[in-house]
Amino acid sequence: MNEALAELPRLATAHLQLSLAGLALALSLSLPLGVLAVQRPRLGAAVLGAASVIQTIPSLALLAIMVPLLARIGFLPAWLALTLYAALPILRNTVAGIAGVEPALREAARGVGMTPAQQLRRVELPLALPVIVAGVRTAAVWTVGTATLSTLVGAESLGNLIFAGLQTRNEAAVIVGCVGAALLALGLDQAIGLLERGVREGSRARTRAAALLIGAALAWAGGAVAWERLAPAPAPIRIGAKPFTEQYVLGELLAATVERETGRPAVTLQNLGSTVLFDALRAGEIDAYVDYSGTLWATILAREGVPPARAAVLAEVTRVLEREHGIRVVAALGFENTYALALRRDRADALGVRRIGDLAAHAASLEIGGDYEWFQRAEWRALVAAYGFAFRATRTMDPTLMYAAVAEGEVDLIAAYSTDGRIAAYELAVLEDERGVIPPYDAVVLTSAALATRAPDAVAALGRLDGAIDAEAMRRMNLAVDRDGLTPREVARAFLAEGKAGDGV
Amino acid sequence: MGTLGRVILLQGLVKRYGAALALDGVSLEVARGECVFLVGASGCGKTSTLKVVNRLVEPDAGSVQVGGHDVRESAPHELRRRIGYAFQQVGLFPHLSVAENVGITPALLGWERARIDARVDALLERMELPPADFRARRPHQLSGGQAQRVGLARALAAGPELLLLDEPFGALDPATRDRLQQAFQRLRRELDLTVLFVSHDMAEALLLADRIAVMDAGRVVQLGTPRELLAAPADARVAALLETPRRQSARVDELLGASA
Repeated sequence: MNEALAELPRLATAHLQLSLAGLALALSLSLPLGVLAVQRPRLGAAVLGAASVIQTIPSLALLAIMVPLLARIGFLPAWLALTLYAALPILRNTVAGIAGVEPALREAARGVGMTPAQQLRRVELPLALPVIVAGVRTAAVWTVGTATLSTLVGAESLGNLIFAGLQTRNEAAVIVGCVGAALLALGLDQAIGLLERGVREGSRARTRAAALLIGAALAWAGGAVAWERLAPAPAPIRIGAKPFTEQYVLGELLAATVERETGRPAVTLQNLGSTVLFDALRAGEIDAYVDYSGTLWATILAREGVPPARAAVLAEVTRVLEREHGIRVVAALGFENTYALALRRDRADALGVRRIGDLAAHAASLEIGGDYEWFQRAEWRALVAAYGFAFRATRTMDPTLMYAAVAEGEVDLIAAYSTDGRIAAYELAVLEDERGVIPPYDAVVLTSAALATRAPDAVAALGRLDGAIDAEAMRRMNLAVDRDGLTPREVARAFLAEGKAGDGV
Repeated sequence: MGTLGRVILLQGLVKRYGAALALDGVSLEVARGECVFLVGASGCGKTSTLKVVNRLVEPDAGSVQVGGHDVRESAPHELRRRIGYAFQQVGLFPHLSVAENVGITPALLGWERARIDARVDALLERMELPPADFRARRPHQLSGGQAQRVGLARALAAGPELLLLDEPFGALDPATRDRLQQAFQRLRRELDLTVLFVSHDMAEALLLADRIAVMDAGRVVQLGTPRELLAAPADARVAALLETPRRQSARVDELLGASA
């Protein structure tokens, strides 16, 4: 709770900046477009149609699409996605509001001698204002809500608390994040509503109060930007992390290592997707992160079929990343985190399965669960091809829920992560991949080409993590977060402190 | 009448809406200070004829002159600022006060604030709407008759010499309507206004008009003074329109005769 509260001001500021920037850009695009759409009905139909189509794209997907489109992570893709998302309600209400002005008033406006521009400014827009403002309020609430997802494309927001909280079972962080976002949305909605009522009813006091509120929000968001500009901190080393516990711990561990060994500031960017992370590293948007040799083998190198031995995969991945992407594999941490099929130990005993091959006889009556990526991954296809089984059903679920689901019998087995502390916590049995279909997943530290020139000492420091963490140590750290409720940062720092005192890592 | 004495000159106006022919060769002149009524059933083309004068309707063929100049010589908004226009739905701007509504055309013309205020007060007085009470009201705080009078004041605000009125006293109760008609008649004489007036009510036309143009199916079927129309209706349609006021007036005369 305390750590969540400590992060709250920074994340709430980032959240507000992102929301206001998205809303402002959406307003400045949608208002003129809406006016134009009324004057040119055919163009209007096309614009409204396009906006509606954008609206049907799930917000998460819209955010994710922006990353490859812009070849960037962080504020820019999140800003654009939020803008597109907020555009429709403003656009639609602008069109509806202006089109809803009584024909008699339009005729009167022309009759008294207004030019088309005066008609718009003096009659149509003022009369459409309540409808337009309703659209802006809808957009404001959507934008603040959707901004929580921006954390997935590397833009900080209150979503950081929510996502990390969900993954590490830190309910307090989830609640702080949700309540914070809800309060921001409510506050913005009310302030805009107050401003509109004040203007419409000609109430000075209301208008002034609302303008003060909105002005304060703008000053807060803008002031934070100015502060960063005026007091430029040295650009920190940026460490990425995927959205699960082990990655949070390793991200903190890398960041703490850099800070401790080089004195350079380091920050973590959590909750980025696998390919988003790799692209960001290649583009120099982040400086380092931990990936797994098997994942790189299957997704970046796009190799299929039964992989070679662990050392060969690692060597090949190292060679290709360096040659084709300028990315360096500076350390193999010393453990593997592979996908492993796991089921309840009592269930495994009852069915008499020890190895994946034993499943073939039972598969037709079993249901298997996996994370968002699993059933689309090459490894799953390779497993099915090699062992020739067909399960009764497959279910995609959040990794957080997967372990509880198998423990409670909601699904029969899951594609678990082999270093996950919850395997032991839930008393699951891991099946042996006797044909070696699932590639080896050495955890490796990747650094960007830029980092080698900008901060060679940081690269060297990260390189010294080679062999520093064995599977047992990783499992213990994961469990400390997932079961004991420690934060990833606490766990990472404790590990480094032990290492320093003990064997001098 | 000479060019100088002629405020409106319409020649050979044709207007189509899709397949429907709204105006089928309308020609008409209105002299300075004259009040000409356009009378006829719904859809006869009287409103279209009125609206070509301030270019709210653009004819497909024919020409329109106002004050000796073709209306296409100036921008529509400039033309309309010189011509007062009031219509049955009134169309008062609901987000503006009565004073702002009345003063809108002077404001568009860039008059000074004090001049606008004085003008608005004078017009409200004339319309029997005490400025102290009515200036700050919003349109929704007016009765139907009050709104019509504000509409008329708005049409007169910039001191136009030509007034276009489309059923300005429609949808009013008879007593209010009569009072407004009397007020209008006085105003017109005092200000020497030229008026083109659309009405479907022949009785109103007979009472207020200098000349009446009876329209049917996009044409002017008879043009003459009220006296000429009553004396010699051009055809059965005109006679039918005159029938109602004639019968009502005869009945009233009869009653008056009986009581005398």
